[in-house]
Amino acid sequence: MSVRAFVLGEFASSRAALEALRVLEAKGWRDLDLHSPFPVEGSEELLGLAPSKIPIAVLCGGLFGAGFGYVLQWFCNAFDYPLVVGGRPPNAAPAFVPITFEVGILFASLAAFFGLWLATQLPRLHHPVFEAPGFESATVDAFWIVIGGEPEKLDRRQAERDLAELGARRVETVEGEP
Amino acid sequence: MIEPREKLRPLVLWGGLAGALGLALAIAGILLDPTRGLYSYLTGYVFWLGLALGALAWLQALHASKARWSVVFRRLLEASASALVPLALLFLPIALGLGHLFPWMHRDLAAEADPNRRLAFRHAYLNAPFFLARAAFYLVLWAAAAELLLRWSTRQDSIGGPDLTRRQRALSGGFLPVLGLTGTWAAFDWVMSLRPDWHSTTFGFYFLSGALVGSMAAIILAVWSAEQAGLFPEPLRATHYHNLGKLLFAFVCFWAYIAFTQFLLIWIANLPEELPWILLRTQGGWAFVGVLLMLGHFALPFLVLLSRDFKRKPAALGAMAAWILVVHYADSYWLVMPRLYPGAPQPRWTDLAALVGIGGLCLAFAAIRLGGHATVPVGDPYLDESLRYERS
Repeated sequence: MSVRAFVLGEFASSRAALEALRVLEAKGWRDLDLHSPFPVEGSEELLGLAPSKIPIAVLCGGLFGAGFGYVLQWFCNAFDYPLVVGGRPPNAAPAFVPITFEVGILFASLAAFFGLWLATQLPRLHHPVFEAPGFESATVDAFWIVIGGEPEKLDRRQAERDLAELGARRVETVEGEP
Repeated sequence: MIEPREKLRPLVLWGGLAGALGLALAIAGILLDPTRGLYSYLTGYVFWLGLALGALAWLQALHASKARWSVVFRRLLEASASALVPLALLFLPIALGLGHLFPWMHRDLAAEADPNRRLAFRHAYLNAPFFLARAAFYLVLWAAAAELLLRWSTRQDSIGGPDLTRRQRALSGGFLPVLGLTGTWAAFDWVMSLRPDWHSTTFGFYFLSGALVGSMAAIILAVWSAEQAGLFPEPLRATHYHNLGKLLFAFVCFWAYIAFTQFLLIWIANLPEELPWILLRTQGGWAFVGVLLMLGHFALPFLVLLSRDFKRKPAALGAMAAWILVVHYADSYWLVMPRLYPGAPQPRWTDLAALVGIGGLCLAFAAIRLGGHATVPVGDPYLDESLRYERS
């Protein structure tokens, strides 16, 4: 990926950050982001985030898992080595339901877990915004709004001024390959 | 603020009329053909009792969990639960017709078909005086709890303050285990003992979980129609419906879990004293009803209610709730009727008469109890918070 520039502003409360996001949005800033210690209600709409794809991944994982669980039992008990257990027919659908259900749940949760990794690009260890001094507070008690853009196109001075006007107690600019 | 009595008058009038007419027809049916008429009556009774009992359980669960979001429509729950009072009186035909309904009433007949003396042993529990005493005990207890909660809540309308909220919460939390036990015993007595040589320890749970699903569907319909009728001071938010939909979804799953558990344990053990109950209900003409329950009472609502958007649309959620009420009646029918018609279901006009008769009277009574005062708990300290409920 190419080099990008980021202007960051640190806000003291979720309310102030939400209000700042609203104003920045109205001023025409796009490519906004928010880093906060907890999910801030209402920020998703303001940031214009697309609906999460995790539910679809979980549904597919669950359906695949359930199908896999059933076929596994059918293959073992009824096809590859038919075995009479407790007088039940080899392909005993009711008896297969608990395992089918459990494997479905297992794959649904695996899909949720790794889907989240994919969605958040999790195994990555670094992002340019981490270089902003004091950014650690985003995991403790502060709310950082990030305005991103191409290094040549982003009007850093304007972005810094807007953030400061909205009450950011700290404004930083960084550049790097995200 | 709102003139509730005026808006509820049609429900009182038409519910009362249909109820009186239906009840008269149901009683005529009982007089013409006692066994058939009483089976219809018991089916309708179990259905409506489940809804009222479920409303009481939801009301108490919401109190016990100190829920605030639900305060705005709590009076609908209180009024629905107060239908347990007329339901206690409507038990009378069943009490008078025990001999036509329950095989264990006939000791001699039972002894003949009972080589292992199992029924004779159960007679210590299943006999008319003890059965009626138990029924009176459950019904009085439920009606008293529903009545107390409604009275405390309406008294709070005028005096306000948190004391009555605390008292309602204390009663609710304490009563929930009692409700679980008496509901289980009532299901054992009134439905399971239709076949006295059969037993399932899950049966009470099966009845109660179905009642919770059915009553949540009824609550959704009640909340939606109350909003249409303008009984709330301001429109509800999508989050209220979302929460109701989530509870409906959760208990559809819970019902399916209990139903499947009961089925699987009987099916897999394959014991001659347990299996006939399942065979009767999954073969011949009743197999269709069994499949309808599996698909209609679980699979369809499960798949549809997965969607977040669906739960947030009152009209869509209401349609699903109406469908669930239909299949929930099929569930009551499937529990009671197969003993009378082992081959296939044979619907009769008395079924409809009992359903409409008992239901109409219950609805009219609940509407009267709802109309006598404010239709939202105006004295509850959490009402404002409930109206502004936004979290999802």
